[in-house]
Amino acid sequence: MLSLIRMANNYKVTIEKIKSNLIEDISKCSTVNELELLDIKYLGRQGEVNKLFKSLPIKENPLIGKEINELKNLCSRLLSEMTDHLLGQSPKESFDVTVPGIQLPKGTRHLITQAIEEIEGIFTELGFVRRRYPEVETDWYYAEGLNIPKNHPARDDQETFYLAEDVVLTAHTSNGQLREMERVKTPPIKMINIGKTYRRQADTSHSSMFHQFEGLLIDKNISITHLIGVMDYFAKSFFGNDRTIRLRPHHFQFTEPSFEIDISCGLCHGTGVVKNAPCKFCKSGWLELGGSGMVHPNVLKNGGLDPDIYSGFAFGWGVERVLMMKSGLSLPDLRLLYTDDLRFLKQF
Amino acid sequence: MDIKLTDKALRYFLDTPSTPSELAHNISLCGPTFDRYSKVADDYLYEIEIITNRIDTASAQGVARDSAAILNQMGIKTRLLHDPYLEKINLYPHLPKTFHFEIADSSLVTRFTAVTLENVTIKNSPPETKTLLTLCGERPINNAVDITNELTLLYGMPSHIFDLDKLAAQKLIIRESKRGEQIVTLDNQVSKLNGGDIIIEDGAGRIVDLCGIMGGQIAEVDQHTKNILLIVPVYNPSNIRHSSLYLQKRTLAAQIYEKQPDSELCLPVLTNAIKLFVLRANARVSSSVFDSQKGDYKAKSIALDTNWVNTLIGINIPTKIIISILESLGFSTTKKDDSHLTCLVPSWRRFDINIKEDLVEEIARVYGYSKLPPTLPCINLLSEEKNPVLKTETKIKNILSSEGYNEIYNYSLVSKEQLEKSLLEPKDHLKLQNSLSQDFEYLRASLVPSILQNIKNNQGKSEEPFFLFELSNIYLATKQKLPQEISKLVMATTNNFRQTKGQLDLLFSHLNLKSYKYQVSAITPAYFITEKTATIFGENRVIGFIGSIKPAVLHKLGITSNPTIVELDTEAIAVSISKNYVYKPIPEFPGVVESMTIKSNDKIGDIIQKVKSSSKLISDLVYSDSFQNSHSFKITFSSPEKSLTQAEVNEIKKSIQNLFN
Repeated sequence: MLSLIRMANNYKVTIEKIKSNLIEDISKCSTVNELELLDIKYLGRQGEVNKLFKSLPIKENPLIGKEINELKNLCSRLLSEMTDHLLGQSPKESFDVTVPGIQLPKGTRHLITQAIEEIEGIFTELGFVRRRYPEVETDWYYAEGLNIPKNHPARDDQETFYLAEDVVLTAHTSNGQLREMERVKTPPIKMINIGKTYRRQADTSHSSMFHQFEGLLIDKNISITHLIGVMDYFAKSFFGNDRTIRLRPHHFQFTEPSFEIDISCGLCHGTGVVKNAPCKFCKSGWLELGGSGMVHPNVLKNGGLDPDIYSGFAFGWGVERVLMMKSGLSLPDLRLLYTDDLRFLKQF
Repeated sequence: MDIKLTDKALRYFLDTPSTPSELAHNISLCGPTFDRYSKVADDYLYEIEIITNRIDTASAQGVARDSAAILNQMGIKTRLLHDPYLEKINLYPHLPKTFHFEIADSSLVTRFTAVTLENVTIKNSPPETKTLLTLCGERPINNAVDITNELTLLYGMPSHIFDLDKLAAQKLIIRESKRGEQIVTLDNQVSKLNGGDIIIEDGAGRIVDLCGIMGGQIAEVDQHTKNILLIVPVYNPSNIRHSSLYLQKRTLAAQIYEKQPDSELCLPVLTNAIKLFVLRANARVSSSVFDSQKGDYKAKSIALDTNWVNTLIGINIPTKIIISILESLGFSTTKKDDSHLTCLVPSWRRFDINIKEDLVEEIARVYGYSKLPPTLPCINLLSEEKNPVLKTETKIKNILSSEGYNEIYNYSLVSKEQLEKSLLEPKDHLKLQNSLSQDFEYLRASLVPSILQNIKNNQGKSEEPFFLFELSNIYLATKQKLPQEISKLVMATTNNFRQTKGQLDLLFSHLNLKSYKYQVSAITPAYFITEKTATIFGENRVIGFIGSIKPAVLHKLGITSNPTIVELDTEAIAVSISKNYVYKPIPEFPGVVESMTIKSNDKIGDIIQKVKSSSKLISDLVYSDSFQNSHSFKITFSSPEKSLTQAEVNEIKKSIQNLFN
């Protein structure tokens, strides 16, 4: 009995000792990791609390069990309070969020590539298929077959580069029209031919090399209203839904009727007036997009199609031109698109 | 071509309630484009773009005729006034012939009309004539010359006057010029003729007119002139075009003549000229009118099915509106039945209206393009093979740009010097016959010379390393007429070979290009150092090269770094891309990673091959670096069946080392 009492006194001292040790240990902790170690030291299977528990005859004295349980609860409360405290603390060291990120080399797709992909995407939505046709071409596909006979004044205007008497660098992508008709043989035809074109001139608004996209749609009963529908879809998709197009009469040898397509100016919205002054960006509210028209019956014939059965429309527009019109880049010189200066290229 | 017209001149032919701004807007949508209009004193000035095949509209009466048709169709009641084709013509048959006339070659002249006037008083033109001419860009000279210029603006038909007394023997011979002949024209310039120009020679063999372009000084009308010879001719357009371009005299007359004005206008214009000479110069007609060819225009007829018209336009325009549009433009129509018409083409449209599609244009534009509803065609293509090169190009561009490469567009044309600096032979390249300058004379057969130039151009401007690429066609001469156009990719870095090769491997990996290998090159393009260049093989086919550039090339170009260049054939890549993806099971048992150093004088690629094929338990092998002939690797050992023990790994390592003893 006496020994039991001694023991009782003893364990009370041990409990107090454990408590004070824990409090002291906790006070030295500065990280959650250290607290987890304390958790093991005090509450683990081999921990202080368990050791004490095992050394006492609990069965004979349930009071002891109760007190040790209280000790256990206290320990875990102290530890978890400290854990919460540490996790909720603000960082001690100063931190500068304005420090620049580590720069990785910036790769870029060229502006012309970006424009071509967008154009291709829009016509793909409409079911056109992209094709590639020669950029160096014979006179037949380039001119004669397109209803431009030898000695026709239209040939003077095209300012063409020649490789041989009847081999040229194409000044337009329309050679693709005849080649696609020959390939398909039986319409429908819905193609978009995007390629490099060359013109024998160079100034701030022209580069001797540029890119064109040529659309061609041929089937039975294709009408001018279809041409307008497709042009309108492209203009709205590429330039914005608030833009409108209009057709003006024009003349091209390989289309009849022929049109000049204009788009309403993005700055003055077709009014020609900005803040009571004439719009500086456009000709009286409208900008020229490019030419188009119904495929001339002679061209259909030259492509092996019967103009009494088939009709269609075509257009050939400048990639750089629509790019410049869309982006508001306001490059002072279109030839900048052909610079190799990385300080320019990395901007886009 | 662009012309300037005043509102007053236009309204001489046009009675309409439309204001100048309405006119400009409405006509632009359906006829010639009014680029600009501006208020000037008590008038308006229009700047009008004439559609190339519509020379009949290059005048006030021509614009007025189109305008009347367009405005009426819009519901704006408009009348055409002073129609020259309704002019009463007096040929003064009772008067004598006062001049001699000879056409040496009838192909030079479509029609020639002439008359003489006497008792002419030369003075200034009335102020309104001077104002009209000045506003429209012509210089007032005197009442006589101004009459011809004013009539050109009003009717689109040039005319010319001579001082009859200055023409030797009052004789005119129209002929082609001979090369080397000279004429002093009214602008005081001496023109040396190239031959083939249409000229008029007088009785003394002197050239007195550079026909259709500008008169000669010899028979110039001046303040002492009393007798005038007035001509209203139409010439062969291609002669005029050649002369005008060759001599760089782009006068209004030349621009009109090269597009063939209507010869039926000669007499009406002559008649109006006579009226003005009487009115403003007190003149009297002194001869009968000379006409080389009586007006015998036979209108061509075009049959038109209005159902077909409406199918091509896309809406239903009633036949009676179709008829009214055509008639308002001067066509006469006969109705065969409800949907079949026969249309006769008026003389002033004889050159631009030839087929039924031409009539569709007339009907649709005057009806109004803005009234046609946009309609998307419901036509779909059957599925077919897409061009694999185009798709691959797009992929390559996306991958390389995300690897940090910058895309460049270079010109396809390069200089001889550029080729030679890259050690390429200009004779292996296609050469332009009519280049603009020596800088752009040869078509590229390789993209490398341009991209080397790109490196040079960026040196010192942007921080290195550079990562550049270009994807473009090259053009190779063939035995056929047309060159071969091949899509090529070139990559250029100022990084070393290994780093660049790593990026290339990453590109191939993204493209799912599996079976390719690098081999020592036997033959490489001239700019590469053969020993430092690998040929890249796809399946049985060369797809390109990766390597270093010869010091001589770098030196010539002034490149200070040591670039690595990759040159690839896009089509070869496109066809080598594997369409299949292969699944390899993820190892169940963890591998053991060990470093190893192997001493060998073999090429590293061969060492790797040798090691890899020595044991199935080697699942990965990564080369780290080399020091002399010691090469270090990180090797992963693993088995699909169990975890390997260190003893087993050591055993394999030993056998690897044995391979190199």
